[in-house]
Amino acid sequence: MTDDHGHHPQPPSDLEARTLALESLLVEKGLLTSEAIDRIVTTFERDIGPLLGARAVAHAWVDPAYKARLLSAPKAALAELGITEHQVEELVVVENTPATHNVIVCTLCSCYPWAVLGLPPTWYKSAPYRSRVVIEPRVVLHEMGLELPDEVAIRVWDSSADIRYLVLPERPAGTEGWAEDRLAAIVTRDTMIGVARPAVPDTAT
Amino acid sequence: MNGVHDMGATDGHGPVIVETNEPVFHARWEGRVYGMMRRLRAAGLFNLDEFRYAQERLPPGRYLASSYYERWLAALETLVEETGAAISSEALPERRAETRFQPGDRVVTRNLNPRGHTRLPRYGRGRHGTIESIHGPFTLPDTSAHRAGRDVEPVYTVRFAARELWGERAEPNETMTIDLWQRYLEADAT
Amino acid sequence: MSEVDRRVASVEGLPRKNGELVFEAPWQGRAFGMAVALTERDGYEWEEFRQRLIAEIGRGPDDEYYASWLRAFEKLLLDHDSLTADELASRTSEFRAMERDEVF
Repeated sequence: MTDDHGHHPQPPSDLEARTLALESLLVEKGLLTSEAIDRIVTTFERDIGPLLGARAVAHAWVDPAYKARLLSAPKAALAELGITEHQVEELVVVENTPATHNVIVCTLCSCYPWAVLGLPPTWYKSAPYRSRVVIEPRVVLHEMGLELPDEVAIRVWDSSADIRYLVLPERPAGTEGWAEDRLAAIVTRDTMIGVARPAVPDTAT
Repeated sequence: MNGVHDMGATDGHGPVIVETNEPVFHARWEGRVYGMMRRLRAAGLFNLDEFRYAQERLPPGRYLASSYYERWLAALETLVEETGAAISSEALPERRAETRFQPGDRVVTRNLNPRGHTRLPRYGRGRHGTIESIHGPFTLPDTSAHRAGRDVEPVYTVRFAARELWGERAEPNETMTIDLWQRYLEADAT
Repeated sequence: MSEVDRRVASVEGLPRKNGELVFEAPWQGRAFGMAVALTERDGYEWEEFRQRLIAEIGRGPDDEYYASWLRAFEKLLLDHDSLTADELASRTSEFRAMERDEVF
């Protein structure tokens, strides 16, 4: 949260006081708005949430032994990468293969793996997605730009309890020899929910 | 409760609208509501099941017309009013259940229609499936949401064929899994 | 990569955990956000800020990172006459003495 300034029961520290003074003067002079600062802070603090999952996926792509651990004991595997900010729930990682595509939903509310993907996008929380992706996943995925031939099996996971799901997408062709950071950049939030596939940018080929 | 929150396979909601470059919060108040919810929950004003149940009790029209954080705000208002903002440190009595099923077991979901909170989706009631994996144990929301005890039970990931759930309308080559508390399940004798 | 990402990526030594920025206290996030937000506007070059930051880190290599950051940002504003040292000092003392507790 970025709305913590103000109402200090204790006097602020020197650094806090100086920061408050700066923000206060800059806003007063019309040089900045608090909203602009909020936007920057949340972008870097929270919007970047999917990066955690993306790093684990990229690491699994280059290290098969790590991939096996990520699938069999996800929490321990994430901890290896320093990702320890878990909530209490269990995490399950499901792997996409040429034969099977996984997609995640919560029909009853909007359960989502915050610990690795940050906060969910609005569409994930919306009535159309929650109602339709269970009964017509191919139609919904098509509308969202993902074509799956009938021979690819679809598994829809309704996260109706305390287990949270992360999709391990397939590594796309054309990424041979890429460094992990470069791979992580194509692992978007949507690929880890299962409504998109990682795409190799045209400029990279 | 059989409410509009239980959306799985209900029709008429239209296309999925994807907002490009969506901000984390669309307005400042949303961030504040988010922060309040996390703090009040951490402080013990309510548990997550009570928070969900408070959203589910919104009148159906209002639930559907409200944005995600509007529902959160309404639930916070309800809970603050109901609890008088009193923090309860009272521990609910815990009851633990033995594990009854193993992966591969055939099960059928019970046709429960409780008036209160449940996490057994309507579309998954009275359906035949197979235990895929065992998780937890986790606290049963059905009693926790009403502060009627802490029933700690295994949760099973149960696999269903799409035809079993959707009949003729099933798409080709789909399977569904639902995570279900033990008491939602019975052994499938057939 | 957006222009903001590029600028942030150009700064050496930003405290990160697993690649993500970490703020140990809310004021650090505010100080970070102000510098990035202000240099999005005309008249303040990111490079000017970056050079001041490098100088401040060199001056106190053991200081906490965002203390150097804050000094660099203050200097940038003073050098541009966006603020005067007097108004900065008096506003800071108001907050420290809790005569003021809202930023606006």
